[in-house]
Amino acid sequence: MTRAVFFVALVVFAWLAWDTGADPVRLARGLPWILDFVRRMMPPDVSVLPAALAGALKTVEIALLGTAVAAVLALPLGFLSARNVAPRAVFYPARAVLNFFRSVDTLVYALVFVAAVGLGPFPGVLAVVAYTTTSLAKLYGEAVEGVDPGPVDAITATGATQLQVLRFGVIPQVLPLFLSYVLYRLETNIRAATVLGFVGAGGIGFYLQTYLRMIDYRAASTVLLVTVAMVMVVDAISSRLRDRLV
Amino acid sequence: MIEVAGLRVVLPPSTVALHGVDLTIARGEFVVVLGRSGAGKTTFLRCLNRLVEPTAGTIRVAGRAVTGAGALAVREVRRQIGMVFQQFNLVRRASTIDNVLAGRLGYVPPVASVFGSFPRADREMARACLDQVGLGHLAERRADTLSGGEQQRVAIARALAQRPEVILADEPTASLDPALTSSIMDILKAINVEQGLTLVVSQHQLETALAYATRIVGFRQGRIVFDGPPKAVTPTVVRAIYGDAP
Repeated sequence: MTRAVFFVALVVFAWLAWDTGADPVRLARGLPWILDFVRRMMPPDVSVLPAALAGALKTVEIALLGTAVAAVLALPLGFLSARNVAPRAVFYPARAVLNFFRSVDTLVYALVFVAAVGLGPFPGVLAVVAYTTTSLAKLYGEAVEGVDPGPVDAITATGATQLQVLRFGVIPQVLPLFLSYVLYRLETNIRAATVLGFVGAGGIGFYLQTYLRMIDYRAASTVLLVTVAMVMVVDAISSRLRDRLV
Repeated sequence: MIEVAGLRVVLPPSTVALHGVDLTIARGEFVVVLGRSGAGKTTFLRCLNRLVEPTAGTIRVAGRAVTGAGALAVREVRRQIGMVFQQFNLVRRASTIDNVLAGRLGYVPPVASVFGSFPRADREMARACLDQVGLGHLAERRADTLSGGEQQRVAIARALAQRPEVILADEPTASLDPALTSSIMDILKAINVEQGLTLVVSQHQLETALAYATRIVGFRQGRIVFDGPPKAVTPTVVRAIYGDAP
C-alpha cells in the first residue's frame, strides 16, 4: 500500500518536472547569467535613492491605508461569516462570497482597478482593500467561532441585547486576535504592494520596473535594497506590536 | 417565584435531557438541585432563563412568562435572574469592576453602554456589589489574574448587580478547591437569608447540598425523583438519585 502510494507520487513528480520543463542542467547553464546580472547591479547607483525612498514611502502608504480600510470593512463580514453568531441563512452565502473573492490575488485586483480608475497609487489602495477585506473577514470569522461560549452565556443571562452581548462578551475575546491579524496582513501587504507598481498601481515597484526596462541595473539595485530595508523595518515594528498583544 | 410545568427538552439530534418536569419554587427558598452529571440539572437551570430553548412546557419566573416570550420580554425576565456558572464565565481580559458592571447591561441605555458609557448610579451599584463579596480592593485588577475562588465571587457580584429576584448557580463550586466550597456557598446562603432572594443551586455533592438547602430536588435521567427537605433525604432517596453505584 505505502509502496504503491510512493510509486504514484514518484510518477506524478516526474510528470510535473517534465511538464514544467524543470531541468537542473538548464539552471546550471543559466547561473553565469545570474552572476553577470548581479555584477552589473554593482555598485548601487545612490543618485536614485531619493526616488526610491519616495516610492517606498508611497508603497507603505498604499499598504497602510488599504489595510486600515479593509480592517474596518472586514468587521461586519467577519461576524456574518461566523457560524456561532450569524444565522445559517447568512453565513453560508457569506462564506461562499469570501472564498470567491479571496481566491483572486491583490495583483489581479490591481489590474482591474487600474483599468477602472487609471494609473497611480489609488488603484493600488483599492486592490489592497479588495483582497485584504475578504482575507481578514475570514480570519475574523474564525476568531469569532473560537470564542469561549462561557462569557457569552453570562452576558446573555444578564438580559443584555444582542449588540451588548457582542460588545461585552465577544469583542473583548477577539479584539487582540483581530489586531494581530491586521498587523500580519499589513506585513504581507507591504510585500504585495511592492509589485503593484509593475501594473501601474503606484509605489516602489514602478521604479524597479522602470529601471529594469531602461537596463539601468545599478539604479534597480538601489530600489531593491530600499525595498528589502522597508519590508524589514515594517516587519520588525509590526511583530513587536503583535508580541505586545498576547 | 418559579413555576415550571411539563418542561421537556430534547437536545439535537434526539437526546431527551428533561422528560416533563413540574416544579414550583416559592420566594426565599434555597433549593439545591441534586443529581449526577448528565441528570439534567444544568439543562433545567438554563431553561429558567432560556439559555436553553425548551421543547415543550411552560416556565414563569417572578410573575413573568419565560416560555413564549418575545426577545424584549425574555431580556426583561433575564435581568430578574442572576446566574452563576461552574466556570465563572468572566470576561478574562476585562477588569473586575467591568465584569460586575456587566450585570447592569439589562438596565442601562443599550447604545450608550456599547460605547462604554454607564450612568453613575449603575457604576456605584456595581461597586457596592463587589464590596459585598469582599473584593472591593481588587476592582481594577484584570479578571484572569484572580484566583478561582475570587473569580467566582466576582461572578456572584455580577449576578447581584442585576438586582435580581432569583439567582441560579450551576455547580458553583465544582471547579474550585474543595476547601473553597463553603466560602462560596456561605455567600450564596447569606444572599438568600439577608436579602430574601430565591436561590436555585445545582450540586452533585450530597453533603454540601444537605448543609445549605432548605429544599432538595433530586434529578435522575431527566426526571425529578425526589423533592423534599434535607432531613427527608434517606439512604433510599440517595440511591434513587445517584443509582446503586457509589
